[in-house]
Amino acid sequence: MTDAIVSLTDVHKYYGTYHALRGITLDIRAGEFFSLLGPSGCGKTTLLRTIAGFEDVSSGTLLLDGKDMARVAANKRPTNMVFQSYAIFPHLSVAENVGFGLRRSSMDSAAKARAVDEALEMVGLKGYGTRAAHALSGGQRQRVALARALILKPKVLLLDEPLSALDKKLREQMQNELRRLQRQVGITFILVTHDQEEALIMSDRIAVMFEGEIAQLASPQDLYRRPLTRRVGEFIGVMNVLPATVSGQEADIAGLGRAPVTPDQAPSGMPEGTAGAGIRPESMSILYDGETTTRRTASGEVVEVFYYGDMTYYDVVLPGTTKPMTISMKNVAGRPVLDRGTTARIAWDAEALVLFGDT
Amino acid sequence: MKLNLNWLKGYAVLYLVFLYAPIFLLPIFAFNDATVIAFPLKGFTTRWFADLTTTPALHGAVLNSLFIAISTAILSTCLGICAARAGARFSFPGKQGIIGFIMIPLVLPEIIVAVSLLVTLLQLGLSLSSWTVILGHTLICTPFSIAILNSAFATLDPSMEEAAYDLGETKWSTFRLITLPLVMPGIISSFLIAFTISLDEFIIAFFLTGAEPTLPVYLWGQLRFPAKLPIVMALGTILVAFSILLLTLAEIFRRRGIAKAGGRDTGGFL
Ligand SMILES: Nc1ncnc2c1ncn2[C@@H]1O[C@H](COP(=O)(O)OP(=O)(O)OP(=O)(O)O)[C@@H](O)[C@H]1O
Ligand SMILES: [Mg+2]
Repeated sequence: MTDAIVSLTDVHKYYGTYHALRGITLDIRAGEFFSLLGPSGCGKTTLLRTIAGFEDVSSGTLLLDGKDMARVAANKRPTNMVFQSYAIFPHLSVAENVGFGLRRSSMDSAAKARAVDEALEMVGLKGYGTRAAHALSGGQRQRVALARALILKPKVLLLDEPLSALDKKLREQMQNELRRLQRQVGITFILVTHDQEEALIMSDRIAVMFEGEIAQLASPQDLYRRPLTRRVGEFIGVMNVLPATVSGQEADIAGLGRAPVTPDQAPSGMPEGTAGAGIRPESMSILYDGETTTRRTASGEVVEVFYYGDMTYYDVVLPGTTKPMTISMKNVAGRPVLDRGTTARIAWDAEALVLFGDT
Repeated sequence: MKLNLNWLKGYAVLYLVFLYAPIFLLPIFAFNDATVIAFPLKGFTTRWFADLTTTPALHGAVLNSLFIAISTAILSTCLGICAARAGARFSFPGKQGIIGFIMIPLVLPEIIVAVSLLVTLLQLGLSLSSWTVILGHTLICTPFSIAILNSAFATLDPSMEEAAYDLGETKWSTFRLITLPLVMPGIISSFLIAFTISLDEFIIAFFLTGAEPTLPVYLWGQLRFPAKLPIVMALGTILVAFSILLLTLAEIFRRRGIAKAGGRDTGGFL
């Protein structure tokens, strides 16, 4: 791949005997917003720190912009990092923090001051230069950390859960701004997050990691619609998985009945015999009294109701199954919220199914 | 509950009286116009303090003590920086054991340290001088320096150093630009504590001192002459005031350091 700015080949990392990265092979394209998504302890931070140069690889190769990084220390790599704690230097002013990376550049001091002002303006902190860094709010620290890392115009910006310390409103606002900023500067961003929604919103491509391995690398849409394994499907959003039996192009699904399936619906290869059939909550709907449909139908008992304002989530147990499925419904005007214990008719589509080899 | 609390208060007051009453007697007799240290007081005078300025042997002892205390403070603070930095950043096999071993002089009776050092030095054929006292004092001050600097380094976010390194600085310039300023209050505090301990220390100085006595050793020598007793009281008053000042400064710097690094107070001496 010629346009890969970061290229890892079979990278392993051991901490003593603990195998933290287990054969990571990955190409990240120049200018893309790339996310590393996975549960706590799966090795996201380790992978990011490996790229930054804070950890060295136990085996495998890491290329940045086509150059082998094995003997290049973190301070010589074309990467900069935004730390989870932001690591703002508390004894320096905002401007001194932002301009820290320019200390060794050959620019004259007027040019440096201009670069600092531009960087501050870019992150919406114009005029904050003389403030003391230790007196900033969480959101402002985050912006200073961003400006400080971007001022050197790195080839790759590494962000380790930069939004996790912010409250929900501010986090959503910063997600927008980060995305806008990335488009504006055109630098490759690699974001580490354990928040699947954040990864879906912001990324061009996402690598889902479990236990030191990449389980799937895909665009947000492909990841959501066509998860390779049941585990990925259940990690990204909600995925109802029912036991099924597949023979040829037909699946017999517990509680839903028989339905035709195509190879396209089995991203990891068409299973034969016992399999898992996955369906998302929004791919099913509840039919209200008198409503008719041309879709496939089934029925089940509502065992739990979760009212979210804009949406209602129903837990429904289908006959012949024990685990409830989650169905989401928009709360359109005039549509009642069902009570627990109601028997509900359900409409669903065979095209929405995803088949997994594991049940 | 109420009763218990009253008992506790009474105990605390008694304890403080017992602890500080002798120290309060120092200035009282230092300004008392009589050679005999006894009540009733005779009248106010500053002549004991004036006498201090006209005793050359005393001046030699003071200079000697200052030299030893400053050298000790520098040495033990440097050793403390290395140990605390290593302890905060790296984990290696036997780390707990090694740290524990370094801290032992904190609880070892000084007389044992003094005697064993004396025996070792004599075996090695080294002659006693200010340098041997510095050696002994560094040994007992280093654990204090480590304890103070540990709290300074432990509250320092490791990503601070990584951030500076990531922005192009070298390991050394990172230490100079980021680490050192952030732990500076701890360093000053360690320096002041070590200085104070060395200045007041008697047993090790008594055993290891050469031809020139330190101030406490000189003082002890003067106690044989009852007529000099009020002068000793005056000197003691100055020393107590000076020590309290230094310890207060040390604690102020230690707290300021923790606040600066954004951490919470965990321990310290005062
Ligand atoms: N310096 C280290 N020494 C030993 N083990 C480590 C070290 N750093 C990380 N690990 C281990 O490696 C694994 C992966 O850690 P890592 O920090 O990369 O996880 P993560 O995916 O970033 O998790 P989180 O979402 O909790 O930050 C963890 O099990 C962790 O305990
Ligand atoms: Mg992490």
